[in-house]
Formats: sequence, C-alpha cells, structure tokens
Amino acid sequence: MMRVGHGELLLGTGFLGVMTTLYLALNWAPSVSIDAFASPAAQRIFYWHVPSAWAAFIAFSVLFTGSAMWIFKRSPLGWKLHVAGSEASLACGLMTVWSGCVWGAAEWGTPWDWSDVRLNTFGLLTLLALFLVLGRQSQPDGIESRDTFSTFGLYGFILVPITYVATRIWQIRHPGPVVGGGEDSSLSSDMGLVLLIGAISFTILIAGHIVMSAKITEYEQRLEKLQNHIDGGF
Amino acid sequence: MSDVLLELDGITIRRGIEVVLSDFNLELNSGECIILHGKNGTGKSTIIEAAARLIPMEKGEVRHHGQLVCDSEGRRKKPVSPFGLTLQSNGLVASQTIENHLQTVCAISGLDFDLVPILDAYGLSHRRHDKIAHLSGGQQRKVSVISGLIPAMLSKESRLILLDEPDSGLDDMSIETLKTHINQLRNAGHSFLIATHDTRLFQCATSLHDIKQETRQTAIKCEPWTGFGTPAEVPFLATKMGWRYNASTLISIQRNWLSALLVIGCLLALYEPLSIKDQEILVMGFVLAPALTIGLVGDSVISMLYEQRAIDWWRAQVNMVPNSNLEALLSGCILTLFSMQVFLQYMDWRIILIGGLIGLLSTFSLRLLQLSTLRLARSNAVFIRLLTPILILPWAMVVEYCTTL
Repeated sequence: MMRVGHGELLLGTGFLGVMTTLYLALNWAPSVSIDAFASPAAQRIFYWHVPSAWAAFIAFSVLFTGSAMWIFKRSPLGWKLHVAGSEASLACGLMTVWSGCVWGAAEWGTPWDWSDVRLNTFGLLTLLALFLVLGRQSQPDGIESRDTFSTFGLYGFILVPITYVATRIWQIRHPGPVVGGGEDSSLSSDMGLVLLIGAISFTILIAGHIVMSAKITEYEQRLEKLQNHIDGGF
Repeated sequence: MSDVLLELDGITIRRGIEVVLSDFNLELNSGECIILHGKNGTGKSTIIEAAARLIPMEKGEVRHHGQLVCDSEGRRKKPVSPFGLTLQSNGLVASQTIENHLQTVCAISGLDFDLVPILDAYGLSHRRHDKIAHLSGGQQRKVSVISGLIPAMLSKESRLILLDEPDSGLDDMSIETLKTHINQLRNAGHSFLIATHDTRLFQCATSLHDIKQETRQTAIKCEPWTGFGTPAEVPFLATKMGWRYNASTLISIQRNWLSALLVIGCLLALYEPLSIKDQEILVMGFVLAPALTIGLVGDSVISMLYEQRAIDWWRAQVNMVPNSNLEALLSGCILTLFSMQVFLQYMDWRIILIGGLIGLLSTFSLRLLQLSTLRLARSNAVFIRLLTPILILPWAMVVEYCTTL
C-alpha cells in the first residue's frame, strides 16, 4: 500500500479547503450592495483573489528566506526552499493576477492598469517567479545558476513591502485593504469567515506544495549525483 | 613592483555542483612559464579563467603584480597592469578587421605598436584589413593568440600572459613561431601561464603543473624580445569601441531602430494622428513609445559580444565593457523627433531630450539585466526579458509628465 506523506496530506487538505472556499464564495457568502460596486456579482471572486494573494506573499517570503540561506550559508535546504518558494509564488501569483484581471474587467472595464502601483509591483513579482522557474529549467544545476537566481530572489523581495503598502500610499485603482485597513476595511462576519477559510486553506496548500517540492528537488539532486558517479566525473 | 606577477591563493572553485579546484595555490614569477597539463576536466581552463578574474571563487583570492584583482568576497578590481589573455573560445568580434581588433588590444595596454612584423610572422599580414568573419578557424585562432601576446610584446615592464590551449588549430609553422615568441618574451621578464596538451610547447616551460604537482625544468635560453610600443592613451575606450562596433555593423539600426520604426508603423495603422490630437496622454505615449522600444530591444553591442565569448575577453580586461550608451541616447532623440513630427506635427526640444534619456536609461537597465546572468552556463537561454515590464510604470509616469510641458 502506498504511504501518504506529510506533503501529500497537506496538499490534499489544502485542496479540499480551497474547493470548499470556492463553493462557499459562490453559493453561501452574502451578496454585496449593488450600490457599492459596478459589478456586484463579480465581487465574489475576491474570496479567491485575497487568499491566493495572501498565499503568494507567504511563498515570496519562503523564496526570500531560501535565497538568503543559499547566498549567505550555501545551505542545501535554502536552495530547496528557493525552488519550492519560486514555484509556489508563480502558482499563487498567477491565480491572484488572473482573478484580479477577471474582476478588473467586470468592475473597471479593463483587466489591467499599467499606472497602478499595486498591480504593477504584484505583476512584476509574478514575472520574477516565472523568470526564476523558467530560467532554472533552462540551465544546468550548479553554483553559478543557484547564485544568480538566489540573487534575483533576494533583490526581488524589495517589491513585497512596496506591494503591501502600495494601496495605502498610492491608491490609484486597486481597492484598499479589506482586513487591517481601518474603518473602511470592516467585513461582515460571514464574509470574514469565508475569507478566513480561504486564507487557511491556501496556506495549507502552499505548505503542502513546499514540502513536496523540497522532496522532489532532493530526489533530483540524488539522481544527478548518481549520474555523475556513473559518468566517472568529478 | 613585486616580481610575483600572479598569485592564486587558496582558491576553491565549483563548477556545477562539484568542487573542481580545492585550496589551489600557484605563484608565477617574472620570467617564468608554467604549463598546466593533464586530463580533460581536471580544471586547467578553470585556473586560467580564475586568474583572468572571470570565475567567482568559493574561497581564496587572485593577485596580479601583488595587487588583489578578485576574491571570494566578490571584490573585482581592474588590474593595474594590462595582461594578455587567449581564451579557449577566441573572444573575437567577427565584424572587426584583424588590424582593428589588434589595435584595440594595444589601446587597452595604452600603447601603440607596428603590427605588421607580428602578423608577418604568423602569415597574416596580407589579410590584416580582412574581417575576422572571413578568416578560417585556424587563422582566427592565430589572431586570438597574437591578442594574448601583444600586451607583453608592447611593454618594457613585465606582463602576465594567460593562454588557454593556444595551440589548438595552429599549423606546425605557427606553433614554432609561438614557441619562439614565448621564449623571447619570457627571457625579457614576462610570465606565462599556459594550459595545453601539446607536448611541443612543454619545451617553453620553466615548470610543468598537472594541477596536483609542479615539476620544475630548465627552459630554453634565447635572445630576449626587444620590440616595444609607444604610449597612446585612449580615453572612453568602452564607449568608443561600442561606437565602432555599431558603426561597422549598423547593428543598432538593424535591431533597435527597426523595432522602433515598426512600432510607429503599427500605431499609425490604428490611428490617424489628427483624429487623436485632443487625447494628450495617448498622443504623448505614441511619441515616446519608439524611445522605450529602443531600450526594450536591449544593448545590441552586448548581444554582438556574446559571439566567441568576446564579452568574457572584455570583462577580463576592463570593468566597463563596450556598450551602446551613446547610440541609445542619439537614437532616442532622433526617433522621438521623428515620432513628434508624425503624431504632434511640432517640435519641443525638451521632449526630444526626454526621448533620448528614455532610450539611454532603458538600454542601460536592459544591459544590467543581461550582464547579471553572464555567469550562467546558458546565459542566452535564460528568460531575463520577463523582468522588462518593470520599465513600463516609470515610462508611463514620464509620458504623463510630458503632457504638462
């Protein structure tokens, strides 16, 4: 019988939670006032958008931590975290950008606004994650590639605090914070509950992905070592 | 000045995941020639490239003439004395003539020199006005080897020469000429570190090194080299060389200008300039779009230098590689002037200058991104352009500002 590891368990639980969030968002969460939004029905995508953005920030933090551990300590665990963090950042970043574009098209009449700081910095973070994932696949694994991509991971993290404060400082088109943003950010309890379930589910999903990815990276490294051994290389 | 021309002090280098060199030490004194030999993959080229400050180290430091040029902390200083370098790849730019290339090598040394006798010795003087692209593989190798020897041939001071498999592709006569030159230059006090499998060159060595052990031997004695260059400083070498590479190939016109003109064409296909005259931001965006396009295409000179690892050859010699800064500034101004005439039908020198600066700064940013991936094994295959949208927001802000002028 196949043994289910921590990674698989977390991934499965997270996936179930995310599906539950989607069901609750579409069928159970209360509707918003038709006066508050141009497209009130589209607002339900926010139960997907906000938790995936939350998970993306966790993933970016893992990417940053991993990059720093590799650059400063040459830690193999750091590299595994970098790989897992970049993949998770890409997945969550794309989910956030995609859901944001869908909502933007319905609410603003345009899926993207190049003049909005929050949209731009988050978009760039996602592109950075895409660059790290595709770039790594284009190169043989080695110190040179690990150093280069970790450096990008480290510098790229500068965008995270800018993205976080962007709507507080320059609110151009993206709405302000829905949680922790003062009086304007209060949510009804039902809305808050769905959002909480979403945030927890996405966090578990990301944790599962990171554990699984780290395991896969370890297997890849072992395989490479064995291949080198067979080749009789250094 | 110290008599030790090269010191590799406890260097540890990884290539890929594995350690290729561990705590490696080497000292090369004036008038010595150390030949690195041994099986493939033992680290001979790695040592040469580390000495040329091209490979980052895990541990240790490299000194030229007693002064630190690079170390494991990431410090990288331009060597005080120019040195000769021949890489395994030739490091040549195919669009240059032999004479132009060798004059550049002389300019890096800050000296001028009559190149004809040297080219004669290698049977190349009749082709000195030919482009490198028109030469055979063996002839290109000769040019690369001469480039490596020139800093010593020009200088009365002792110079360090690094040659990585200089013999590959050379005919017997050229090997003999090379041996003569190495011996003459070594007897004049210059030092050589050579990686080779060719046992004919072993006769030039004062030491043979198989990476594990150094064995000293008696080298051939001969008359020392006597030809020297005359001082000829070339200021702004990187910018001048960038201009020359651009002028000889028109590569900026071919890549950057063409893309920018295509953008203007596409915009004209969508809108009649007169029909959008009242939409200020849109029109200004159209006016400044070609300038941004120039930058987004990237620095064409850098792309050209990827040929035969010419960029690595340049990076070893100087801290600032040839670039298209001047062309980007001028192209930005000219194309903005053109798009102003198309979309606005009037001229404002401030916007033209801003267009030039957009061209310059975006080209500079792209170059920074391109150069940041140079260490990678396949730096051309990496998706670095995914990060270029970082330029869109600042560009949009400049466009908005220009509408207020």
